[in-house]
Amino acid sequence: MQEEELQKTEKKSAYELFFDIPVGPQHPALKEPAFFKFRVEGERVVGVDVDVSYNHRGIERALEDRNYIQNIYLIERICGICNVAHTLCYAQAVEQLHGKEIPSRANYIRLMVEELARIHSHTLWLGVAAHEIGFDTLFMYVWRDREVVMDLIEMLTGNRVTTAINTIGGVRRDVSDEAKDKVKKGMNILEERLKYYRKVALNDPTVNARCSGVGILKPKDAIRLCAVGPTLRASGVKNDVRRDDPYTLHDEVPFNVITFDTMDVFARVLVRIDETLESVNMVRYCLDHMPNGDVRIKLPLSPPVGEAISRVEAPRGELIHYARSNGTKNPERYKVRTPTFENLPSVSEMLTSKSDYEVNIADIPITLASIDPCFSCTARMEFRDVSKGKTWIWSLKELKAHCSKSRR
Amino acid sequence: MNLVKWARLKSPWLLHFNTGACNACDIEVLAALTPRYDLERFGALLKASPRHADVLVVTGPVTRQVKDRLLRVYNQMPDPKFVVAVGTCCISGGVFNGCYNVYPGLDSIIPVDAYIFGCPPKPEAIINGVVALLKKLEAS
Amino acid sequence: MEENEVSEALKNKFGKKILEIKVSKKGEKVAEDMLIPEIMEIKVSKRRVFVTVPIEIYKEVIRYLVEELGFNHVQAMTGLDTGKFIEVMPHLGRGITITVRTRIEKDRPVLSTITDLVPGASFHEREIHDLLGVVFEGHPNLTRVIVPEGWPENVYPLRKEYHPEQPKPIREVF
Repeated sequence: MQEEELQKTEKKSAYELFFDIPVGPQHPALKEPAFFKFRVEGERVVGVDVDVSYNHRGIERALEDRNYIQNIYLIERICGICNVAHTLCYAQAVEQLHGKEIPSRANYIRLMVEELARIHSHTLWLGVAAHEIGFDTLFMYVWRDREVVMDLIEMLTGNRVTTAINTIGGVRRDVSDEAKDKVKKGMNILEERLKYYRKVALNDPTVNARCSGVGILKPKDAIRLCAVGPTLRASGVKNDVRRDDPYTLHDEVPFNVITFDTMDVFARVLVRIDETLESVNMVRYCLDHMPNGDVRIKLPLSPPVGEAISRVEAPRGELIHYARSNGTKNPERYKVRTPTFENLPSVSEMLTSKSDYEVNIADIPITLASIDPCFSCTARMEFRDVSKGKTWIWSLKELKAHCSKSRR
Repeated sequence: MNLVKWARLKSPWLLHFNTGACNACDIEVLAALTPRYDLERFGALLKASPRHADVLVVTGPVTRQVKDRLLRVYNQMPDPKFVVAVGTCCISGGVFNGCYNVYPGLDSIIPVDAYIFGCPPKPEAIINGVVALLKKLEAS
Repeated sequence: MEENEVSEALKNKFGKKILEIKVSKKGEKVAEDMLIPEIMEIKVSKRRVFVTVPIEIYKEVIRYLVEELGFNHVQAMTGLDTGKFIEVMPHLGRGITITVRTRIEKDRPVLSTITDLVPGASFHEREIHDLLGVVFEGHPNLTRVIVPEGWPENVYPLRKEYHPEQPKPIREVF
């Protein structure tokens, strides 16, 4: 709803008054519930206040009350888009607590699915960004081609979005030779299309007009405000957890850290397109070099007493999990720090006018979208069987009994 | 069949409201509107304002903070209005059931007309849910 | 900088100081967990450093790491309720992760802020303030960021004494 309650404030400016424009939690420019209060002086944005409490579900507390196996599925639902990064990070943290290494084939599959998820996330973002600048044709094109990678993820893991591929001690599914061929074919289609989108982004006047010089974040500020991921790399700082703190097989699989030095939204578009192309090559490398063997080792439910920090480069930036175990089947404390939370100070900086550049109200949606915000990360019966036309009702007790049966 | 009902059946306008979802359902709702699945062939169109919408598509578990806003959006929609709950979290709280900040399902807040199961439901399931709602409308 | 070099640098810089604090505290009655080890307790593993420091030199250690060793990125800040104490752990660094751990008393959870050293720590401190009730002295804007409106004062969801309670339905479910 485009609700503009203009509130008078006491401060005086060249326009006599500042106005506060509330945006959210339900707003055309936002896809998720979050609340922004922009302080404007005419068309210039001079201040921003952010409230992310709409998505707080109390996951960190719930993690302490459930056991390590149940937590995989809860962790996965912190964020639907980067669920592979979250489960990977969680599995690594628990394996660190156990002090065990997983089989090499499992590492290859983990890395491959992680990179496929990055392709899916970045193409999704490219579509959303195109929509935000009013270029809906590009949005529809990108989302059509994104279905290629969605089909591959569904074939490899069994679900389109929430994959549940990573588990403690390895992965849940092996990759067959047939599947490998299909992934290879899919990668060829994607590479061709992505190169086309790169050309579009570089040559199209619409993209250039709406993205160049908008949402500037200088490298000095990016480091000071602890920006992470593509937001930081678009400011020209070479930083990537995959290179600096390699996990799974990132020290083995070759890739380039993409940086760009124009520091604006345009740089963030190009960094993401180029990263997607790198991911395509990494998936190909994994397919060619995957060894044979087991994909999973069995680990006991309760890890020994200890603590672990696990880091993963999620599509949106560095993701950190901290785990502390007290020797029981429930963790003592499990902390999740997601990339969007780390990028909030940076986006506030991008949206505030400075002496050398101005932020207009019309630039708010694309600037906000340029960090690829994911606020679900940030905060943390009756059954109908349609196919048989049968209806039944379960009591809570029966339901719980059914759940514990299927929970191995 | 009167004219208003005919018009409503041919062009259900949707309002998508995320009440604290993990984004998986949201991207699947969006994917249902893009070329591969193309929900728009049923006349469905995603609108930005609750005052234009016939159908409220809700994704995600309802958090404490969002509850009042959800009611406000619901009250702003013109009658008759229909609610579709997308995803298991929205229907019952899902994995978040028991968390201190999450209501046990959307129907503990507002009446719901159609439920779409799945975590997240595939775009095909979402289309099926919308078609089921249209059939229900036709019969009413 | 490698993890072992960091650990050596910290020992050289603060080892003596810790001894002084220990001597001056000898007369007071201190709880078992608060006793400070002879030198700082440092655990080193692959690309991870865990340092436990007393509250008195918490900020000095952070300043040394940020300004002199150049670990000017706060990856995260973890708050943790151990029962008697609250542990606050900023995780610093881009390549390796240095965790500075300090313990504060639960009855008087006050700690000085590090936002003046690293502005990016602002949201992390606000989050810990919301969920565990730690007051960061000198924080420019210590308001609520995570918990919903109308959340009662002095109820902190991550403290052990809090029992999660699901909100009641506001309408009859058939």
